[in-house]
Amino acid sequence: MDSSPILSVSDLAKTFSLGFLGAVPGFRRLPISVKGIAQRVEAVRGLSFAVEPGEIFGFLGPNGAGKTTTIKMLMGLIRPSAGSATLLGHALEPGNRRQRERIGYLPEQPYFYEHLRPMEFLDFYGGLFPMTAQERRRRARELLDRVGLGHALDRPIRKFSKGMVQRIGIAQALINAPELVILDEPMSGLDPLGRKEIRDLIFDLKQQGRTVFFSSHILQDVEQICDRVAIVVKGRLRRLGPIGELVEVGAQGTEVLVGGLQAPAVEALRLPATALGAAHRFVVADPAAVDGFVRAALDAGGRLISVTPQRRSLEDIFVEEARGA
Amino acid sequence: MRQILVIALNTFREAIRNRIFASIVAFAVGLLGLTLAVSAASLHEEVRLMKDVGLFLVSTFSAFLCVFVGANLVYKDIERKTIYTILPKPIHRWQFLLGKYLGVAAMMAVQVTIMGTALASQFWLLEERFSFVMVQAVWLIYVEVLVVSAVALLFSSFSTPFLSGMLTLGLFAVGRFADRLAEVRLKADAGEDQAVLDVASAAARGLSWLAPDLSLYNVTPYVVYDTALPAGFVAQATTSGVLYAALALGLAALLFSRRDFI
Repeated sequence: MDSSPILSVSDLAKTFSLGFLGAVPGFRRLPISVKGIAQRVEAVRGLSFAVEPGEIFGFLGPNGAGKTTTIKMLMGLIRPSAGSATLLGHALEPGNRRQRERIGYLPEQPYFYEHLRPMEFLDFYGGLFPMTAQERRRRARELLDRVGLGHALDRPIRKFSKGMVQRIGIAQALINAPELVILDEPMSGLDPLGRKEIRDLIFDLKQQGRTVFFSSHILQDVEQICDRVAIVVKGRLRRLGPIGELVEVGAQGTEVLVGGLQAPAVEALRLPATALGAAHRFVVADPAAVDGFVRAALDAGGRLISVTPQRRSLEDIFVEEARGA
Repeated sequence: MRQILVIALNTFREAIRNRIFASIVAFAVGLLGLTLAVSAASLHEEVRLMKDVGLFLVSTFSAFLCVFVGANLVYKDIERKTIYTILPKPIHRWQFLLGKYLGVAAMMAVQVTIMGTALASQFWLLEERFSFVMVQAVWLIYVEVLVVSAVALLFSSFSTPFLSGMLTLGLFAVGRFADRLAEVRLKADAGEDQAVLDVASAAARGLSWLAPDLSLYNVTPYVVYDTALPAGFVAQATTSGVLYAALALGLAALLFSRRDFI
């Protein structure tokens, strides 16, 4: 497998010029910003990261962080103000057919032509790729079954629920069997079962050797399936790395649960304790001190129930970064 | 080419499945039926009146329908974000626009054909032949529709449906009188400032240059008096219309290519 990144962005930036004067050519070079009249909004500021082939990459950030703007720049819907990006080893070039033929994309809160039925819908999107009618039909049937819409073939999209629209949106993103799949908030609007199905589908794509880049703020989903994540806040990259490294196992101390301790023995252990029924919960901050603490607790007549290294959740990091920005 | 056809077919299908389209066409055909009743009440002039009013209805309904559809066309795709799933596919933005335009052109061909056929059947009821100049007149209405649709698409590529509709209708009105506007030279009466009138005259002549000359596509007098059109007129008017539509589409594609879809 080629080891060069399948997607990379370098110093990518986007500044929107808003207000009625914002449309005047050359305005964005002027150092003025007046709300409602001539306002400049820096949505993405010098973003750099790379996605490796075959990985599931989570792109996280609170609302307004610049996730969708970044994805739209990658998809050629918005022109970057500065910086560069490469997709599948080639510079970003909207309309580059060879590049686009190898990418699948689902936008945030998609809306589709409501007059189409599922097979017509996928045939329409498939028609934009160099696929024969037979290939399109076969692929459409496969995908509709895969996203759980095989029962709704005769129903026009206008009669679909939000979750069904999201599923058929994912199907259109996969119609061309893309090497790189870019999904903007794919779990949005889905119930827990629907989210699990999408997680499984994303995981299947990885098993097939495809790369998945997706944005989300459902951290539980991200934590379960991503190899690496990037956290962006206010258009800047705040964290980047494998989930395991980011959550830093042990960084929050080690939880020791001990039963059968009398009150004087608890005090003698010299650590704050929380009573949990007949047991006591202690948190030992220093990993090197855990063994000694466990021995002391046992010597004091305690019964060891569990020793659990604590870790920061992705949510802790996310909240910390969002508040700190 | 394939991508253009895919977009065109989908646009056509969307329009045909739209109940509003069917309702408007049914209403227009019904109105044509009324023309027959009104014409029958006019002594000895029923055929001429039917030709006049009939062509007016076909032309006006077609123009308003294509303004309505054209003005909404691209805007709706942007507003509803449908375009976000199409432009990232292997398609150029100009191909998307051209596909949309061809879809509308196909839809309007159906509409003009239905109304033309309804008009022809009324002639049959009156035992009047549907002359060749009548066929040419209906064809020229279709060419006018192609021009107006391209203008509507141009405005739709950068403004709201309301504004696009208004701008297109404005240009349509100017275009209908383009031949007269090109000749405007206002003379001052006593107490009036000739300089102001000169500016107004120049503005009117300028507008006639900017707008398509839609007076070319109204050949009702020839139809009413059953006179043949001058040789080469239809070809010239068609070429002129196609060139204007191509210019409008080229400009739309240029504006569209630079646009950010926020």
